[in-house]
Amino acid sequence: MWNTFVEKFIEQEGYKLTLTGLTNTALIAVFGLLIGFLLGSIIAVVKLVPAKNVLFNILKKLCDGYVAIFRGTPIVVQLLLLHFAVFPALGLLLEDVVEASLIFGLNSAAYISEIMRGGINSVDKGQMEAGRSLGFGYTTTMIKIIIPQAFKNILPTLGNEFISLIKETSVLSLIAVTDLTKSFKAIAESTYEYFIPYIMLAVTYFVIVYIISLLVKFMERRLNTDAKK
Amino acid sequence: MQKNNITPDDKKVISIKGLYKNFGKLEVLKGVSLDIKKGEKVVVIGPSGSGKSTMLRCLNLLEEPTYGEVWFHDNLLTPVDPYLHFDIIELSNTFAEIKEKYAQDKSLTEEQVRDAAIKEIKQNDLLKKREGKLYKKAIKDFYTKHVLNVNKARARIGMVFQHFNLFNNLTVLENLTLAPVNLKLKTKEQAQEKAFELLKRIGLEDKASVYPSTLSGGQKQRIAIVRALAMEPEVMLFDEPTSALDPEMVGEVLELMKDLANEGMTMVVVTHEMGFAREVASRILFMNEGKIQEENDPKNFFDNPKNERLKEFLSKVL
Repeated sequence: MWNTFVEKFIEQEGYKLTLTGLTNTALIAVFGLLIGFLLGSIIAVVKLVPAKNVLFNILKKLCDGYVAIFRGTPIVVQLLLLHFAVFPALGLLLEDVVEASLIFGLNSAAYISEIMRGGINSVDKGQMEAGRSLGFGYTTTMIKIIIPQAFKNILPTLGNEFISLIKETSVLSLIAVTDLTKSFKAIAESTYEYFIPYIMLAVTYFVIVYIISLLVKFMERRLNTDAKK
Repeated sequence: MQKNNITPDDKKVISIKGLYKNFGKLEVLKGVSLDIKKGEKVVVIGPSGSGKSTMLRCLNLLEEPTYGEVWFHDNLLTPVDPYLHFDIIELSNTFAEIKEKYAQDKSLTEEQVRDAAIKEIKQNDLLKKREGKLYKKAIKDFYTKHVLNVNKARARIGMVFQHFNLFNNLTVLENLTLAPVNLKLKTKEQAQEKAFELLKRIGLEDKASVYPSTLSGGQKQRIAIVRALAMEPEVMLFDEPTSALDPEMVGEVLELMKDLANEGMTMVVVTHEMGFAREVASRILFMNEGKIQEENDPKNFFDNPKNERLKEFLSKVL
């Protein structure tokens, strides 16, 4: 059993495919988070800023709809729908990894916008009042006072979002992107030997997630020594 | 109804005129007018829910009034209420027309006719509906004469909150220097020098580099006061500054406030500290049910109250 795996993985250069898979998974998760963070921030801001006119209200409603749709459907369904139906209909032909990053980014934007909104709302209302009473505008108070405190509050949740993003990328084989899961699956299927490859797959995911959770904890501690609550 | 003067008065720092504030269906302020003159120490007392904090928060527009005006010197901070400025109304054709209607009733005096006409115009918002052009022009003229950005006014009005509201993500020193430096009132060096001077005054210069979470309530509130002072404000607003403190710590905060009062700072203080009111106030207001129901100097206010509700209130708190 073990020998079959070693032979396939090392001698027949199966590790090359695995490395590609690992790189793709990492790229998709990182860029997915990045896109999600940027888009999520915009959505959170639109939802938080007091409405000034009709146009802005419509924008708010659109954001509400966006979040409802992406949180209300499974990622697998979004993947299939966007890859096989929406993107082709729009004539959008993207490279595998780019497309996957985009889809995961769109998905996590919905979650991240809610995380950020919660984080900003969790900052005591008095902080905004104090900033305004000193003569700062809404935006300056947000940037100097509210967001730094909100960021500290949401860091653990944001870390969780990144972790679930990494794990969710495992459904990418559905649209034939070579990610970590697909690379191990290929090894398993070519040798008809499932036990070791899938154990190794699980271990790889676990190690990645474990390292990231350690990093998040470390960052949290750093921020906490800066400003004890 | 009286005609409002908008001629600048050097002595008035803040004035509010005909202020109403609704939270949904709840009417919290029902027509409050007040002038705060330079150097005055106005203490506001009243039962909870009487609107005193809301009134104070309207003074720097942290709460936006539903109707009425807030003035800082001769600058209007709220949208202009044309009905408070009869010169706008009296110019209008609508006014003439409606006055005509009431004038037919011979039993009314000229004054009553005018008041009735104004009341009708106001109730139906006729000025806006029927005199759109005049209305817009009047408001525009008005603003060019009396415009001031609310943020600029707030920078000159210090405020101290019940729950201190020090910035948790900044050190004590940064709390004191953030606003003066960012609003470009001082250079970083000047601001830090001033901050240390203020911290020294309250004996907390050794706390300059700590975060607010490590301080006691009394220390936090004293730092909140000097944070406001770092902006060198013309007037200080205090919103129940000692209500969230342990009894032991009330004294140190009141001492600092008394010092400020003795230095001639213009102050508006909402508080339940009757001793402080009696000792420091130049004028005490009693608020109840959204109105100022009594207003007097401390001696007469406590020894000779006229309002029934105030008598009852004083009998309970003294």
